[in-house]
Amino acid sequence: MTTARTAAQARPQQPTLRRAVTAWGSFSWGYSDVGADIFVGLGLVLGAAAGASNIAFLFAGIVYVCIGLAYTELAATYPVAGGGQYFVFRGLGDIFGFIAGWAVLLDFTIDIVLFAWSCIDYLSKLPVLPFLAYTSHPWTHFLVVFALIVWLAGLNIWGVRESSAFNELVSALDVVSETAILFFGFLFAFHPDLLVHTMTAAWPNTFNLMNGVSLAIISFVGLESISQAAQETQRPASIIPRTSISLILTILIFALSYSNLSLGMQPWHPIPPDAHGHQQMLWHFLGNEENNGAAVAVLASYVPYWGAFAALYVPVLGAILLLISSNSGVFGSSRIAYAMSRTQLLPSIFQRVSPTRRTPVVSIAAFCGVAVVELIFAALPSLSPGMHHLYARLFRGEDGITFLGDLYAFGAATSYSFVFIALIALRFNDAQSPRRFKMPINIPLTYRGRPAEFPVVAVIGFIGIASILVFTMITHEIGRIAGPSWIILGLVGYLVYRHRKGLPVFRSQRHDWRKAQVRILQEAGELELMDEYLRNVKAAEPPSATQRGLER
Amino acid sequence: MTVHPAGLAIAFFILGSVVATIYWMLHPPATAADRAATRTEEDVEAMIGSVIIVFSEEIHSEHMLALAARVARRERAELRAIYVVEVPHTLPVDAEMEKEHRAALDVLATAEAIARKNNVEITTEVVPARQVWQGVLDLARRIDAHLIVLGSYREGRYAEAPLGRNIEMIAAKAPCDVLIGVQGQSGRVLSQTPDGTAVPAQTAVR
Repeated sequence: MTTARTAAQARPQQPTLRRAVTAWGSFSWGYSDVGADIFVGLGLVLGAAAGASNIAFLFAGIVYVCIGLAYTELAATYPVAGGGQYFVFRGLGDIFGFIAGWAVLLDFTIDIVLFAWSCIDYLSKLPVLPFLAYTSHPWTHFLVVFALIVWLAGLNIWGVRESSAFNELVSALDVVSETAILFFGFLFAFHPDLLVHTMTAAWPNTFNLMNGVSLAIISFVGLESISQAAQETQRPASIIPRTSISLILTILIFALSYSNLSLGMQPWHPIPPDAHGHQQMLWHFLGNEENNGAAVAVLASYVPYWGAFAALYVPVLGAILLLISSNSGVFGSSRIAYAMSRTQLLPSIFQRVSPTRRTPVVSIAAFCGVAVVELIFAALPSLSPGMHHLYARLFRGEDGITFLGDLYAFGAATSYSFVFIALIALRFNDAQSPRRFKMPINIPLTYRGRPAEFPVVAVIGFIGIASILVFTMITHEIGRIAGPSWIILGLVGYLVYRHRKGLPVFRSQRHDWRKAQVRILQEAGELELMDEYLRNVKAAEPPSATQRGLER
Repeated sequence: MTVHPAGLAIAFFILGSVVATIYWMLHPPATAADRAATRTEEDVEAMIGSVIIVFSEEIHSEHMLALAARVARRERAELRAIYVVEVPHTLPVDAEMEKEHRAALDVLATAEAIARKNNVEITTEVVPARQVWQGVLDLARRIDAHLIVLGSYREGRYAEAPLGRNIEMIAAKAPCDVLIGVQGQSGRVLSQTPDGTAVPAQTAVR
């Protein structure tokens, strides 16, 4: 007893994250990120894909289901903070782990700007506070978004986070609100013949359809938030598959319903004519430059009966959800940078923690700085007529929010592509890890003398997301330049850093994944899975020389 | 506004799908540990319908009462604090024992105050009996008690001494479950009465 006590005293336990996230908490964690996307994505997709917006959402939705299933399998197998970046790092090695993480970092920085931008757009639609409409002026809008980003950075450096309970409440209110909007909209104002007419009359050309698909994927970005919270979730291997699948279904239902409702709804009250005095269709009104940043709030106000009430609260609810999402960008970017720095994919400066506030101050400041640069690029055409002409000449005149949407789609499509490849690789390289959830449709085969399963859905998902990446590159002038530039810039920095540190530049460092997996499962409280993993590992090991001798 | 049948069907499909999805998510299958915990909870709920908290000259159960009151508040159990006055065989069982009765009233007043602080109702009673254990067991059978809660004392002035005879007899013959608070070797709380004085029989030798 004395010995045991001495040993325990000699090895003080490292504090671990508290497992306090429940099933609803895990769902809200993801929902506060993905749920906000439709508030931004709907208007952008309607503006680009017009009468085929529902088809664009359907295509992106199918890809999203594949992505969701992949994340569900990986997060349940490796319940550890880090999400996609960790899966790629583990499955494909250091350099691909860096590229995936760097692409996720791009997405998080865009997340900060895009949602802060849209948050202000939603608040400007609040009819009871008409002075907020002044924020739609380009300079006011720019300054308010800038101030919001600085404020969020300050809050995160200070160490203030929104409470989980608040997150859960906002998510619950939003699920109820969106369901109510869709319920009343379809019940009282949906006309299938109008939907068919709109789809026929306003069917876009191929270019615009591809553009719409590439923008539709941004309505589904953020599922990895669930896997990032895996380390704090109760019974992650059982809970995460349920919360992920529920999130996938809920978001898919909302995205497909909103797009079909926008195309086939008879508005409750007349839509104002456009600048030239022409009559507008609802989808056109929602997708124009004035409303595309707050399309859900505008749509809700045209829903019969419920719309009168929804017009009062949807702008506020949308703004809160978007603000939470923007904040998750600040928090997520610093967390990923910190994790990448710990695995020597980024310089150690990103691990620097404020001695007083205990927050990763350098990471927060650096990536909020990147977000401000992105904001300037997005706002320039509206702030200066000269820049407006330049953008019109070079980039087909994309507006600020579309520029952010381009980069968001690029970052997401890049990191998701790697996640699919990592999943396939891990099925072969780490077949011993028990998978409580597996993507459906697998082909059993033998790899290096061991049974393995080839995931067909991962290949379908990869083809889908890779085609979205190609669409993004084809249709978005800015995305085509800025996205790959971000990756190349990061990659050069990575190579220089690894070379100067004397670390393998193109190869990976040695990792003891077996020990790591045991620790992950033990910390997750998944002891039965840990036992199963150790049994699998033992069964897969070649018999030792002693055992062979005994057998003989 | 006209309601189109397709719109009606889609509206209810959306509502049903969202509700069903959330319901399914919030009801994951229980693990073996969850099932065991639920069974234990149910057993405990069945156990604490009517609770007797025992006091006597030697048995100080104030801390046990405070614990029981917290559980009782949640489970809406019926609490009954009793002070058993031992009447010597030389006297009739209903003999007036003023000094002991007065001490009993003080202890039961404390019990009421503890219950009040925990926002639970309690009934109190002075029970004369030839032996403490006999009084407790007779009452437990009479009111069909679900649980007897009591502190403890030891026969000698040693931490390792056997538990008092009354404690042993109650535990051995009770018609229901018994929850006994025993002072551990280095325990301090259960060895004290609420006024802070140590219980003589439990004074541990360290």
